[in-house]
Amino acid sequence: MSEEPPKICFKNPKYSYIEPGGKKHVFKSLKQILAVEKTQQWPEGAMTYSSFNAPPSLRPPKKYSDISGLIAPYTDPHSKLRYANAEEYSIVKTLPSDIVAGYLALRGASSIVG
Amino acid sequence: MNIINLTENPNRPDIFHKYNVESRHALVIDNGSFKCRAGWSNSEKPILDFRNFILKPRRDRRKEVTDPLINKHTQIGNAITNLESVRLNLKTQFDRNIVTHFHNQEQIFDYIFAHLGVHNEESFTHPVLLTEALGNPNYFRQQMNELLFECYGIPSVCYGIDSLFSMRHNAVGSDTLIISFGYNTTHVIPVLDGQMRIENVRRLNLGGYHIIHYLHRLMQMKYPMHINAITISKIETLLHCHSSIALDYLEELRRWSDIDYYTDNVKKIQLAFVMPTTQGTPQNQDQKIEKRKELTRRLIEINARRAKSKQLDMENQLRFMSSVRELYEIGEMVEFEAALKQNDIENVVALDKTISSLRARLQQMETSTQDSSQIANRAPKEKTSNNKKPPTDVPLEKWVSEINLKRDEILGRKEVRKARRQEAAKRHTAAAQERMRIISLLAHNDKGIDNFGVNDNDWDVYKSINKDNESDSESDNEKLLEYETILSKHDPSFKQNAIQSSDVAENYQLHFSVESIRAPEILFQPSLIGCPEMGVADLIDFVLKLFPADEQQRLVNGILLTGGCSQFAGLKERLSKELLEKRPFKTPFKIYAAPSPEIDAWLGARDFANSNDFNNSLTLKSDYEEKGSDYFKDHLYSNRYYANA
Repeated sequence: MSEEPPKICFKNPKYSYIEPGGKKHVFKSLKQILAVEKTQQWPEGAMTYSSFNAPPSLRPPKKYSDISGLIAPYTDPHSKLRYANAEEYSIVKTLPSDIVAGYLALRGASSIVG
Repeated sequence: MNIINLTENPNRPDIFHKYNVESRHALVIDNGSFKCRAGWSNSEKPILDFRNFILKPRRDRRKEVTDPLINKHTQIGNAITNLESVRLNLKTQFDRNIVTHFHNQEQIFDYIFAHLGVHNEESFTHPVLLTEALGNPNYFRQQMNELLFECYGIPSVCYGIDSLFSMRHNAVGSDTLIISFGYNTTHVIPVLDGQMRIENVRRLNLGGYHIIHYLHRLMQMKYPMHINAITISKIETLLHCHSSIALDYLEELRRWSDIDYYTDNVKKIQLAFVMPTTQGTPQNQDQKIEKRKELTRRLIEINARRAKSKQLDMENQLRFMSSVRELYEIGEMVEFEAALKQNDIENVVALDKTISSLRARLQQMETSTQDSSQIANRAPKEKTSNNKKPPTDVPLEKWVSEINLKRDEILGRKEVRKARRQEAAKRHTAAAQERMRIISLLAHNDKGIDNFGVNDNDWDVYKSINKDNESDSESDNEKLLEYETILSKHDPSFKQNAIQSSDVAENYQLHFSVESIRAPEILFQPSLIGCPEMGVADLIDFVLKLFPADEQQRLVNGILLTGGCSQFAGLKERLSKELLEKRPFKTPFKIYAAPSPEIDAWLGARDFANSNDFNNSLTLKSDYEEKGSDYFKDHLYSNRYYANA
């Protein structure tokens, strides 16, 4: 396995991310900080991380078969999976529920509200 | 046939370099969310180039806590040679494209300093040039400042944006539209007169990470039985070497839907597999049968021997008892009593009983040994009679074809039954409705008394209900099995069919077809993975529309593609096509693809560190102490500094 990593001599020995009580420092996530950034006052024209976000797409999303990726004219009303032809439909019917859920999650369609 | 063997390239641990650099040279670190490159500003190439991964040693909970973690240290980047086995335990300092976990970042810095050989110095005297993400929030920069100044005590730092350094290195012109395809994000950055127009920069929150994981899940769900064999490393190689961006996605899809095109172009990925031990050669089979026979013979012998010795014992006992009985008849009462006492027998009656029972058992034993020897002789004969041979008066071919016909007939019958069963399962069919009618008639009972079953004919109703629902009959299955064994023995064509369908190697092949264009397509159609943002082509158009027409034209004359994901084959052609559709009629544009998109951000940063502007762009430790912990000096290649109001 690995050998002992060498000690960095110029490092401040007092600097540590382990807090005095022995607890690990909890780092704030990007999401938290972005929420904070939104509430803060910024100079005119300042760009924050969130203001770079691409706008939502204006095109209607095309429908592709979940299984093959081909253009899908049909949707199975039972599983909500899209399919391109009869052959694929016969596959859709035999898919176990975890695979169906996996395909839907991959397409971002697993939400109940969706 | 396109069969691909995917090899996983194991990492090679980085070596420890010697430190002999003057302190005026800067340490340049391109800290990307995919890979980290580090080196001195006087070096030709980055000295270190590793994946930003950390593997922490894990304490085994079952073992004692006091057990020293021998040979267990945090491993980083290229030191992790068994990437796939520890994939789930890998940590990174990144949250999306922003450094948020600074204890991990500290480990990464330690690794860099150690491998550059500076760890033995008393203090670190070089300025540091570190790349960061566009729009890095002040909070995280403050943490980075704290780590660099307080923990490592560096004299000065300069933060820059990797895409802008990449532009500097590629020098397309003073007006550039940078399109940077990263691991977590894709940026569109307009630059006019060398100045980044930060207000018009846009970011698509999609990148190589999403492509890799999309393809990974797609392949896993297509082949659920190989879920563990489809690893991220394999998927990465697949994307690097065998995927491309379609010029016209719909047209490509149309082509793939043609079966001939599919068979000509599909790539088959051969997974590793172990050939299962075959049924054994005929010779092997014979040996096995011989062995088994030998074993049974020996067992029978042992049993016989045991039975014989028991028989002898009993005969001896019987003889003794008879002699004792004789003593009683003669009248030698004293000796008789002593003999009885010796054998724990109470009186004459009991003695008579034991003698008679012994006799009976002996007799029984004799008959049973005869039986078992008969069985042993008969058993092998029964087995051999199982192998059917063609009747002597019919030629072999005719017999085989007859059996083939019979087999087909049974298969057909099974098929019909299956179809009928499926039909019956549906509610609206005539059969199902008839069934429901009968059941409801049965349930309907206006007399209020239940005398169903009094008459035996009542039960016949179930025959009419279940008429269409019978399961495959036992006899049919048995016959089918019999026919198949005969066919596999006498019909060479049947044998071939069976073997072909069970070719093992083919079961371990993954077909890689539409996926080769489907996965990278998410950059252009984020809706494929349910991302509501617009695709990169639309985003470019959106950013261009934020400028007046003349500036738009200046920008499109120098479009630069950079970042690791810009290496997809067909990306430049696809963007050309999309731009041609979107730009005004007959206006020119020019797309440059960065020749070495993986390291040119580092190279550009190194060039900047060697330029005259560099010294004016450094944030000194005194600045950190005086102007606030989140302060940094902005320059041509950096984010803008906005102080919190």
